[in-house]
Amino acid sequence: MDRRLQQLLDLLDGVSEETVNTSVRLPSQLRDAAALAARMGLASTTTELAVRGLRDTLDAFAQRAVLDAHYAANPEDRPSLAEVALAAAEIDGNPLADHPELVRQAAAAVRELKDDAGPDDVLLFAAGLAAASAAA
Amino acid sequence: MRSAQTVLLDNEAVQALADLGHAKHRRVLAVVEATASRNVRRAGSVTLVVPAAVQVEAGWDRMTQGAATLNRIRAAGASLDRPAADQAASLVAALRVSVADAHIGAVLSASTGPHAVLTSDPGDIRRMADHLGIVVNVVTV
Repeated sequence: MDRRLQQLLDLLDGVSEETVNTSVRLPSQLRDAAALAARMGLASTTTELAVRGLRDTLDAFAQRAVLDAHYAANPEDRPSLAEVALAAAEIDGNPLADHPELVRQAAAAVRELKDDAGPDDVLLFAAGLAAASAAA
Repeated sequence: MRSAQTVLLDNEAVQALADLGHAKHRRVLAVVEATASRNVRRAGSVTLVVPAAVQVEAGWDRMTQGAATLNRIRAAGASLDRPAADQAASLVAALRVSVADAHIGAVLSASTGPHAVLTSDPGDIRRMADHLGIVVNVVTV
């Protein structure tokens, strides 16, 4: 694994409560929106919102990088777009989970249309196929 | 229908993820991949959770060399603190489920839905969800 990725994971997993003051330039309207959200009880502070947003974003990047590193070492483990779309349908309780052939068909079509297609693109396309089939 | 926000893994799902040779490894990876895809598009939209009692039952020791792949997958832990232990004990008493499954139930009660659970024992998870009055998408591994 890339040394920098391991360092990123170590930093994200660190349990230190140590904080630093840092200078971040926020768009003023975003700052005001965050302050308003805090007053509405949606977050305790602007800092908490900023930290949560930064952590969630870095976690998402790290998870993506970890999976890509895993597939680079174990290419046979990479699930197909159709498999991922079916998994997404299952965790959502989407009725398309009971129609794997339709999802596979949608995945093949979406892949032709979009290079970076994700599972939700496939499920939307499959829902369209199902609706068109029902209307025919 | 709303997208799942919290996805819990049971012990077999954890074992399948940890073991590259496990028959269900790729299937569980597909679920992880689905959550990763959503989080890249919208950070923090879905959380993978492994409750502490599940971690114990699955034999996942984060300090061992063999756990490296699993450690990096960005699954959140859920501790068996006093409220969770009380809830889990109540579920064990009412439903005779395992401690690990009861901890899954406690996390279901305390976390943001919609929920999904990856499990090799869908019957117990459904019984628990019914008992708790929580809608759970049960995914059999």
